[in-house]
Amino acid sequence: MKIAVCVSHVPDTAAKINIGSDGISIDPSGVTYVVNPYDEFAIEEALKSKEKFGGETVAISLGGDANKETLRKALAMGIDNAVLLKDSGYRDSLSVSKALAEEIKAQGAELVFFGKQSVDFDNSVVGQLTAELLGYNCISVAVSFVLDGNKIICEREIEGGKEVVETNLPAVITAQKGLNEPRYASLKGIMAAKKKEIIEKIPAAATNYVEVLTMKKPASKQAGKIIGTDASAVPELIRLLREEAKVI
Amino acid sequence: MIIKNDPEQIQNYLSDASNYKGFAESVYIPETEAEIIQLLKIFNKNKIKATVTGNGTGLTGARVPEGGVVISLEKMNRVLKLNSEEKYLLVQPAVILKDLQNFVESKNLFYPPDPTERNCFIGATVATNASGARTFKYGATRDFILSLRIILPDGEIISIERGKHFASQLKALLKTESGKEISFTLPRYKMPNTKNASGYFCKENMDLIDMFIGSEGTLGIITEIKLKLIEIPKNVLSCVAFFSDEADALKFIDEARSTSLQKFKQPLFTNNPLNARALEFFDVNALNFLRQDYPNIPDNAQAAVWFEQDFDKDEDIVMNNWIELLKEHNCDEELVWLALDKNEQEKFHEFRHAISWKVNEFITLRNLKKVGTDTAVPAIQFNSFYNWLKKKVTQANLNYVIYGHFGNCHPHLNMLPRDEEEYQKAKAIYARICEEAVRLGGTISAEHGIGKLKRDYLLKMYGEGVIKEMAQLKLIFDPHKILNVGNIFDEKFLGTT
Ligand SMILES: Cc1cc2nc3c(=O)[nH]c(=O)nc-3n(C[C@H](O)[C@H](O)[C@H](O)COP(=O)(O)OP(=O)(O)OC[C@H]3O[C@@H](n4cnc5c(N)ncnc54)[C@H](O)[C@@H]3O)c2cc1C
Repeated sequence: MKIAVCVSHVPDTAAKINIGSDGISIDPSGVTYVVNPYDEFAIEEALKSKEKFGGETVAISLGGDANKETLRKALAMGIDNAVLLKDSGYRDSLSVSKALAEEIKAQGAELVFFGKQSVDFDNSVVGQLTAELLGYNCISVAVSFVLDGNKIICEREIEGGKEVVETNLPAVITAQKGLNEPRYASLKGIMAAKKKEIIEKIPAAATNYVEVLTMKKPASKQAGKIIGTDASAVPELIRLLREEAKVI
Repeated sequence: MIIKNDPEQIQNYLSDASNYKGFAESVYIPETEAEIIQLLKIFNKNKIKATVTGNGTGLTGARVPEGGVVISLEKMNRVLKLNSEEKYLLVQPAVILKDLQNFVESKNLFYPPDPTERNCFIGATVATNASGARTFKYGATRDFILSLRIILPDGEIISIERGKHFASQLKALLKTESGKEISFTLPRYKMPNTKNASGYFCKENMDLIDMFIGSEGTLGIITEIKLKLIEIPKNVLSCVAFFSDEADALKFIDEARSTSLQKFKQPLFTNNPLNARALEFFDVNALNFLRQDYPNIPDNAQAAVWFEQDFDKDEDIVMNNWIELLKEHNCDEELVWLALDKNEQEKFHEFRHAISWKVNEFITLRNLKKVGTDTAVPAIQFNSFYNWLKKKVTQANLNYVIYGHFGNCHPHLNMLPRDEEEYQKAKAIYARICEEAVRLGGTISAEHGIGKLKRDYLLKMYGEGVIKEMAQLKLIFDPHKILNVGNIFDEKFLGTT
């Protein structure tokens, strides 16, 4: 079986983000990029599936040369092949999904893993859109995954509980934290990854339906207030929390 | 200056991570050096005992007051100057070590000393000569101190720069800023030839700045520190390797240690650049403690080694050398975790921190005192010492975990007694282990210091004569016996007058 995993290259969640001079993108200087954290669960599940059922794994990422770092990590973790769909221009979620769907089709992958969302723009739709474009079944926000023959059973996290759902291959699964414990790359894996080539392809040009008009930073926090340093300050603190902050 | 008197408010200052509890009347929180001087003058005149506190992560009760008052330096937490050209950093004592390291790293500079717990004050790391994983290559805090400003118990100031004030044999003379001369004789004893944090640093013709480093606040309060920085290493290889046989892990460390130590002596010899900066060990019990939080630990792992190397170039050669060494010692390369970026390096550091932390939590929840060794022995003695202590604790049928800085031949055996009877048993074993370490030419405390919990063992290590000389040294600087009394040796050695 061919298993694909789609990975994105995102700013580290601890990074301090500034808006770029064009006002519609972020300023990348001084920002470290990492594998999208939810994609790590997707990579791990792809590896586990291959270990169980055999076959071949491929990681696909859409973006500029910098994304190679994320693909290298996927290779070091044990993914067999990597494809970079090279396009650093702006794409909306549908346009990203179209490019990925094309490549998944070309690869002939029947089982596809995504992270449940990319923590840069948080649209949380690329996995589902891609499934629709491919005509695959889709289970999103999965916290467990069992494949038995053609049948897939997953637990999904829903508000206040879990839902157990079933579908068939071919399918797209989007991974939620809790699905597994992503492995670290091994020393052997990194040596093997160094020898592997990342295949570069140019995806079809973007057709965007959504345009970014402007980016804004959240309003900066107001300075804190020290009401007192001992127990006598508590009544006033409670009053302020109730009347001003309205949190209790 | 904030002064706290309310018993509720000062609770937090009365114990440390050892779970040892003390008592005090008030906590003074000065914001300037002038306020510290003012306080000490009053306390000195009125013979009020004062205990200096850092961030309370110590494991020996050193910051725990046994009466009197506490002086907390928490407000003196500013970075005063970074000089990237000359590579130094001038700081106040309460800068948190982790913040300090992040700050200098953001400027492409590096401060290597890395005690496993980095949520501590830099001043306290000087007071205890803290060390950590990277001490294997870079040395302890001591090796990075360029100068200190110290307020003596009578309010006098000593500013001391490395390389300027040496003892003549054991005779020493220091001058305070006001011109007061202090002349004294250093205690005579031979320090162990290992990483060490047991008692004052003393030897003939020594640089006198070293006497203050590791003196656990018994000679004065450190108010300013100039730290040596180095260039940040270009690349770091950080791995956790799992072994299905503990003996293999120990042999692997042995060989990595001796190969690396040869390299340090021959900096130009780079053909075979296996040159560890850290070699940390975890036994199977430690791994079992960690399994719940780290489910990826392989099932058959009987031991693990976290190793790091920094290097400029030739990544492939560096990696291949390690792979060779791992294979030679039957480690499956697929079972070697590798950190691909700084975040993952931090995670491995956290893996190491988690075991120390979890053991402490286990003990605290059961309201027991930790029975953990901090002994180190010379390298040639290490493996037999390790096997001996493991046999001792297994025979006694105690729960235990062993981990630690094995590059520096420094194991932390933590016994986990389930009740008072086992606690007493563990203490007896602890005493035997200290004795054995000393017999082998090692130390009873390689990094945590003596504080109030290890005084009896220091007494055994050096004998009463030496401890009395140490007490004399303290009395030169603190004749009224007010500052950090009870650290390093029992108060009775200071006499009754
Ligand atoms: C999980 C864990 C892991 C640890 N791992 C290590 C390790 O790997 N290596 C290691 O060395 N230690 C380790 N420690 C011990 C501890 O973190 C260090 O001893 C640290 O240096 C203490 O810093 P602190 O700010 O908490 O000091 P405190 O415990 O508050 O004080 C320590 C001593 O320093 C004195 N002091 C503080 N500031 C000053 C000052 N400005 N002038 C004079 N004296 C002062 C205090 O009076 C006291 O005697 C560990 C502790 C824990 C809990």
